[in-house]
Amino acid sequence: MTRAPILGRFRHGYVAPAALLVAGLLYAPFVWTAYLSLTRYDGLAPPEWAGLANFAKLFDDPVLLSSAGNTLIWVVGTMALPVGLGLLVAVLSYDIRGGAWYRVPFMLPYALSGAGLAMVWSPVLSHGGVANLLLGVDTAFLQKAPHNTIAMLLVWTWQQLGVNTLLFVVGLQSIPKGPIEAARLDGASGWRLFRHVIWPLMRPLTAVVVGLALVASLKTFDIVWVLTQGGPGRNSETLAVTMYKETFVAGDYGYGSTVAVALTVVAGLASYLYLKRQVR
Amino acid sequence: MVRSRVATLGVAAVLLAACGGNGAETAQKKTELTLYNDKGAWSKYFEEMGAASKQSIGLSMKPTGYTDSAQYQAFIKASFRTNVKPDLFTWQTGGMLQEIVKQKQVADTTAVWQEAIKAGDLSQDLAPYYTIDGKQYCVPMNVAYWGMFYNKKIFDEHDLKPPATWEDLVKIAETLKQHDVKAFYHTSVLFSFVWFEQIMAGMDPDLYDRLSTGQAKYTDPGVVAVMEKWKELIDAGYFMNPGDKTDPGDVLKTGKAAMVSFGTWFNTSMTQRDMKAGADYGFFVIPNVNASLPKTSMIFESGPLCSLAKAADPDASMKYLKWWTTAEAQKKWAGIRGDVSANPKVTIEDEALGQVTKDAGSGEYRLVNRYFEATPPPILTAALDGFSKFVTEPGTYMEVLETIQKEADEYWSTHQ
Repeated sequence: MTRAPILGRFRHGYVAPAALLVAGLLYAPFVWTAYLSLTRYDGLAPPEWAGLANFAKLFDDPVLLSSAGNTLIWVVGTMALPVGLGLLVAVLSYDIRGGAWYRVPFMLPYALSGAGLAMVWSPVLSHGGVANLLLGVDTAFLQKAPHNTIAMLLVWTWQQLGVNTLLFVVGLQSIPKGPIEAARLDGASGWRLFRHVIWPLMRPLTAVVVGLALVASLKTFDIVWVLTQGGPGRNSETLAVTMYKETFVAGDYGYGSTVAVALTVVAGLASYLYLKRQVR
Repeated sequence: MVRSRVATLGVAAVLLAACGGNGAETAQKKTELTLYNDKGAWSKYFEEMGAASKQSIGLSMKPTGYTDSAQYQAFIKASFRTNVKPDLFTWQTGGMLQEIVKQKQVADTTAVWQEAIKAGDLSQDLAPYYTIDGKQYCVPMNVAYWGMFYNKKIFDEHDLKPPATWEDLVKIAETLKQHDVKAFYHTSVLFSFVWFEQIMAGMDPDLYDRLSTGQAKYTDPGVVAVMEKWKELIDAGYFMNPGDKTDPGDVLKTGKAAMVSFGTWFNTSMTQRDMKAGADYGFFVIPNVNASLPKTSMIFESGPLCSLAKAADPDASMKYLKWWTTAEAQKKWAGIRGDVSANPKVTIEDEALGQVTKDAGSGEYRLVNRYFEATPPPILTAALDGFSKFVTEPGTYMEVLETIQKEADEYWSTHQ
C-alpha cells in the first residue's frame, strides 16, 4: 500500500517557490563563486581564466596560513568555552531549585547581533578602555596575536554561553528518567552518573550543539571585522575575514572566491566527518 | 501528475517574471537625484546641499551614505552591472578612478571642466587629478590640504607655539612628554599611512613620487630611513597607543593627544564637536624633516563626485555636477562643513585654513598627492596592513617594507 502524499497532488507546486529561491539565491551564487575562483577578476573587467593559479597562491600565502591558525583557535576555543562551559552551567544549574534564574544572566547577551556585540566591546577592549581601567593594566588587548583572537573569543563566549546552556538544558530535560533512576539505585552519582548515563543519553543533542558551533566558529567574521578588521597587520584574520578582505578591500574577486571555496570545503568536510561519526 | 507539473511551471514563470526587470533602458527625466557616498557622517551636509540645489536649479538630491568604504566600493562596482544605478556617486582619484574610467563606466565631464575653468570656478592645477587620456571625469567633491590640528588650550598651557621647523616640532613633542601629555595621534586602522607619507614628503618628495609610480622600491635606503625616523618618534614615546579606538575628533577635544594630523576636512569633526578655531584648536602646516628642500611639502587630496556614463538621466546628472562647481554651491558646501573649497572664488571663514588655501594656490608649497590616491589599490591594501603592523610592532619595519614591496613587484610587473 502506498501512502498518500500529505500535500496531495500539487505538492511540487507548493515546494517549487522555495526550491527556486534556494537554487537562485544559494546554489547559483555558489557555482558562480566556484567559477570565479578559477579566474582573475577585479569586479570590473570581465573575469579572465586563470586555471588553478589562485589555488596555488592559496598554499603559498603566509596570510592564509595565519588566518587558518586563527580559525583553528576559534574552533578549538568555541568547543572549550561557549560549548564546554555551556554544558557545565547546564549540568550545574539543571537539578537545583531556582536553576533557571541562574541561567538568565547567561542568556541576555544572546539578544545582541554579532556586530552589535563587537560595538559594545570595542570601547571595553580598546587601549585605555574600560578593561584597562578595571584591571589597572596598560594592555592593548586587541593588538598582539594571539591575544587579540583570545580576547575576541572570550567576548564570543560571553554571548554564546547562554544559548548553548539552554540547548543542553533542553537535552537534559528530554532524557528519560528511568535509566537515571535505575543508575541511582545501582549507586551511581555525581561524575560517574554523568559520564556513564547522562552524557550518552544526551548524545543526539550534543551532536547538534557541537555541529552548529563548529560551523559557526569556522565562519567567524562579524565580531573580528568590527573589533579589529583582522588587524593589526592582518594578525587576527580568520578565513572568513581573509575572504572578505581579499574580495572587497583588495578588489581581488578571483582570489577572494578561492578562499571562499576553500572555506566551504573545510566547513563542509568538518561538518560531514563530525556528523557522520555522531549521528548514526 | 501533469497538472502538478503545470502548476510548478506556472509558479516558476510568475517568479521569473517578478525577478526579471524590463530590459529596455528608457531615458527618464528626473527631478530628484540620488547621491551615493562613503561619507555617512556627512549625510546632514549632503541633505542641505540637496535642498539648496532644488532651490537653485530645480533638482533636489537625496544622499545615501555608507560608512564602510569596502562595502561602498563593492556596491558601486556591482551597480555598473545592475539597474540600481546611482545618479551621482563619490569616488577616489588616482588608480581607483582610472579603473572605472577604463571600463567606460564614468561620464566624461570635460565640457563642465572647460566651462568652470573659464568662469574661474575651478583651477587648472586641479585638472590633472581628474584627467585620464586627455579627458576629464567627475568634478571635485572636495579638496583638502593636510597638516596638523592642535589643541590650543594644551599649547597655551605649556606656552607652545606652532613649529617653524621639524626640530621645533620634536621639541614641542618632548616638552609635552615631560608633562605626561601624548603629542601625536596615530592609528592602526585605515589611516595608518599618515605618518609614512608625511615624513617621506618632508624628507624626499621626489622619492615619494617615484615610489608611487613603481620607479623606486619600498626597500630602497630612502624609504628605510623614513621608517627609521618614524620609529624614532614612536620609541621616544611621542605617540598615543595606536590601539586606542577613540575617535580622533574626541582625542583632540579631550587632549588625549595634543596633535592630530589630518586633511582640512577634519575641521568638520571640530565643527560637529562645537570646537572653535583659534580658541579651542589651531592648524599648522607640518615643517619638512629635511630643511634643505626648496619648498615645504604639503599633502593634498581631492575626492571626486561622479556620474555614470549610463546614468538614468545623464542631462540631470551633468547639470548637477556643473552646479556643484559653482561659487554659490561651493560657498554653501565649504561653509556648512567649515572646510576649504575647490572653487578659488570661495572665501574660507576659518583664518588658518583660508591662509593655507591661499598659500597653496600661490605656489608656496610643493603639493604632494595623498598616499591613498597616489598608490595603486593592491599596493595600498598591503601597505595599510603593513603600517598597521608597524605601529603596533615598530621593530618589524623591514619585514613590513619587504611585504609591501612583494605586492608592488607583482603589481608593477603587469602595470608599467
